[in-house]
Amino acid sequence: MIGGQSDDLGTPYVGRRMVSPDLSTSNTAPFLEVTGLRKAYASRKGGEVVAVDGLSFQVRPGEVVALLGPNGAGKTTAMQLALALLDADAGEVRLFGQDPELLPVRRRVGYAPDAPLFPRKLTGLQVLALHAELLGFSRRDAGQRAERFAEQVGFADPARRPAGTYSRGQAQRLGLALALLGNPDLLLLDEPTAGLDPAGVAAMRELLVSLRARGAAVLLNSHLLSEVERVCDRVLFLKEGRLLRTHEVHAGGRRLEVRLVNPEQLAGPLAQAYPEGTWEGDRFRVPVASEEAVPALVRQLVAAGAGILEVRLAGAELEQLYLEIVEGRA
Amino acid sequence: MISWPVARAAAREKLRSPAIVAIGFCFVAAVALGGRAGAPREAFGGFGIPFLVVLTLALGAGLLAGELESGHAQLVLLRPITRAAWVGGRLAGAGIALAAVVAAAWLAAVGGAALRGGEALSLSAIAVLPLAVLWAFAWLSVLAAIGAVLPGWTNAAALVLAALAWATLRSTLPAALGHPEWAAWFAELSKYLGPQDPLQLAWNPREGLGAGLYDLSWVFFAWLVAVLLFNRRELARRRT
Repeated sequence: MIGGQSDDLGTPYVGRRMVSPDLSTSNTAPFLEVTGLRKAYASRKGGEVVAVDGLSFQVRPGEVVALLGPNGAGKTTAMQLALALLDADAGEVRLFGQDPELLPVRRRVGYAPDAPLFPRKLTGLQVLALHAELLGFSRRDAGQRAERFAEQVGFADPARRPAGTYSRGQAQRLGLALALLGNPDLLLLDEPTAGLDPAGVAAMRELLVSLRARGAAVLLNSHLLSEVERVCDRVLFLKEGRLLRTHEVHAGGRRLEVRLVNPEQLAGPLAQAYPEGTWEGDRFRVPVASEEAVPALVRQLVAAGAGILEVRLAGAELEQLYLEIVEGRA
Repeated sequence: MISWPVARAAAREKLRSPAIVAIGFCFVAAVALGGRAGAPREAFGGFGIPFLVVLTLALGAGLLAGELESGHAQLVLLRPITRAAWVGGRLAGAGIALAAVVAAAWLAAVGGAALRGGEALSLSAIAVLPLAVLWAFAWLSVLAAIGAVLPGWTNAAALVLAALAWATLRSTLPAALGHPEWAAWFAELSKYLGPQDPLQLAWNPREGLGAGLYDLSWVFFAWLVAVLLFNRRELARRRT
């Protein structure tokens, strides 16, 4: 399983001094703050291509924020700028209120790139152990931690093989294990579900929920709108390097969608019980304040004689919004 | 200055490379079978040198760029580690692999000479081992410095091309310019354009000591240049 952040091998330590995780510089201080970022590349035809243009946003503790946009919108560049892997032409990045290049700051950050590659001759366990040692664990603890994290991301067997033999999905899992290795307070995930099988995608969802629950902040790039809708608190729509709009996913509550065996039979009673509900074929949609309200509502439906085939909790129509905001379609 | 976890990983990676293993095997075979009876230092210093050169080039090719281009360096450098320590670790790791292969070849040379009824192991024959490693490691540092700016294995290609160009220039230019006496001056200058051969230290300590110290300074300054150049680089590449 990917989730699960408990750490029985001890918290990371700086040199020989043990430090406890300090998640709260202050409860509301952003873990990541980006102000007026700009990055342009020289074009092959002369001139320049602006990848990120005047981008500003924040990611606060306990928040899962997604960058959404078409290919070439500047999502990956924005992440790389946030991590100081690229030098910005203008603007500023602060991680935990500090310079992102400071070594103690890097200890608190995890990053999983899109399509990562690893030294071909080293096994996954050796790569994990190397990173654990760089985080300050002793050689022995690093080895144990490597085994444990490989297991957590469902990667225990392939981790014993050289990384050069990995499929894209396996490399993705190793990248994720590396990102989680130091129990980061801020996690940046670039297309984390690309190459993952359905079980991996579901585990990724659980992971994001568990990270949020422990107060960590997550910034992710993904094209899987349904997943973004399910786990993210905020979505930043980007196009041509610019922030078009910020959308609070669960503002105004969420929506329960239930697929029924017997919609005709229940149309009348449900319209009376839930006047705000709408129908589309065999699907009944009704707004709910939060996901805590879902079990009671499902029980009521069953009591009313509903034969339930599928239950799905969704936020606003993200796909609709994406098309409107990014593609300019009505 | 050196990240030892990085160095260990780099050494492991290099020693598992089929190209390094193949070169190492040829190196060992050549020095074990070559040379006169009882002359391990001759076998090692003579027959071994071309293999040592090829081994050094193979270890240094893409030493930094390979990791950067794969994207793994970005992940490593997001850990609490300085760029200088990463460069030092990569270089030290390649140096460990170099020392391991050279030590195996040296043992083969000594063993081969002994089997052919050679003399007892002399001090100079023993000294050949660390001196050969030092010389090759100094060149490895040069490759690292070039590799801080050039992509892939082109650092090794650039060094070979530069060496060939200089060799051509120094042998033809004095005569072409009508000053054959400049050849001696060119030969003297050549000594300072790269690490010097410290193997003579095994035979002539007085003359060889200078070359050994000179090579040590090459290691340090090449590392320094590699770090300075690498510090100016962006770690992520533009996605196409």
